[in-house]
Amino acid sequence: MSKLSSQLLMLKGFLWIFIFLGLGELINYALDIPIPGNILGMLLIFIALKLNIIQLKTLKPASDLLLKYMVLFFVPYGVGLMSYYDFIESYWVILSVAAVFTTLITLYITAIIQQKMERHD
Amino acid sequence: MIELYKFSIFGIVLTLIAFFGALALREKLKFVLFNPVLIASAAIILVLVLSDISFADYNKGGKYLSFFLSPAIVALGVLFFEKYKVIKHNMYPFIMAVCSGGIISILCVSILTIIMNAPEVIIKSIVPLSVTTPIAIEITKMTYGIPSITAGVVIAVGIFGNAIGPGFLKFVGIKSKTAIGTALGTAAHGIGTARAIEIGPLPGAYSGLAMCVNGVLTTLMAPHVVVWIISYVSSS
Repeated sequence: MSKLSSQLLMLKGFLWIFIFLGLGELINYALDIPIPGNILGMLLIFIALKLNIIQLKTLKPASDLLLKYMVLFFVPYGVGLMSYYDFIESYWVILSVAAVFTTLITLYITAIIQQKMERHD
Repeated sequence: MIELYKFSIFGIVLTLIAFFGALALREKLKFVLFNPVLIASAAIILVLVLSDISFADYNKGGKYLSFFLSPAIVALGVLFFEKYKVIKHNMYPFIMAVCSGGIISILCVSILTIIMNAPEVIIKSIVPLSVTTPIAIEITKMTYGIPSITAGVVIAVGIFGNAIGPGFLKFVGIKSKTAIGTALGTAAHGIGTARAIEIGPLPGAYSGLAMCVNGVLTTLMAPHVVVWIISYVSSS
């Protein structure tokens, strides 16, 4: 594939992803359901692929690029923690105990159930 | 002197330098706490505090980067379709694992906050702590908590799960990479999923779908649990 056509494919993929994001936001807004637009967009794009409305090869370059840098997009939220400094200072013991124990127990229960029940073939 | 930090390019460039610096650091030193999100966020906070720049000024640029989180979540749907055939035969254990994990998460955080006598506003704000930030904030709005506290705790949980999760699970005897992926997505939402994608595309697919399923499950359950705890605490 030439460089230009692979770039066009990337652009097309991004366009589709944003169309589904917009659809998700629209449904969230119009039907007033408490599931955010991006999660609805994720479900819709899966359904569209399953029903063969769009091809996987059209979306793959753009979606792979977005997923590769997904961690980067969280950094500004991480920096945002600095705004809650006073609150965290007052309640950090309760918040950390609740967060750490809940996360570890949830990780363990989920992983052990999946590991015990899943089939490898 | 022109105040460079007033421009949105400041936040973007600072984040990119911190992030790719953190990636390079982890390449050199393979240590669990050298997690790119953790190191980059800490480095940026340090720069901002030392040079007396507010988060609002930083986020003028930062918000352009966090904006891409939404299309990245949509892209998880594409990844899931790609891996769907591989997951299909394990659908039942997968759903069982995510639902158990999601319910345990809500119960555990509820019981802990009751035992520690947490103020009502904390209970209302942190019950959805395992799910992805946008969903957690929606839930907090339904329970009348403070969304910014939710966001802070949810991100902290994500970074914690991302940095500690795989090591902890190996330590307690989990060998299956797909089980680690499912657990990361259930307990630590998108930031955990980002780690699962680093482990491999298949754990990444399990993790992304786990995040989605648990997000919907928690949306349906958490508001009722909060109402129940509040009435329990105020009646005892």
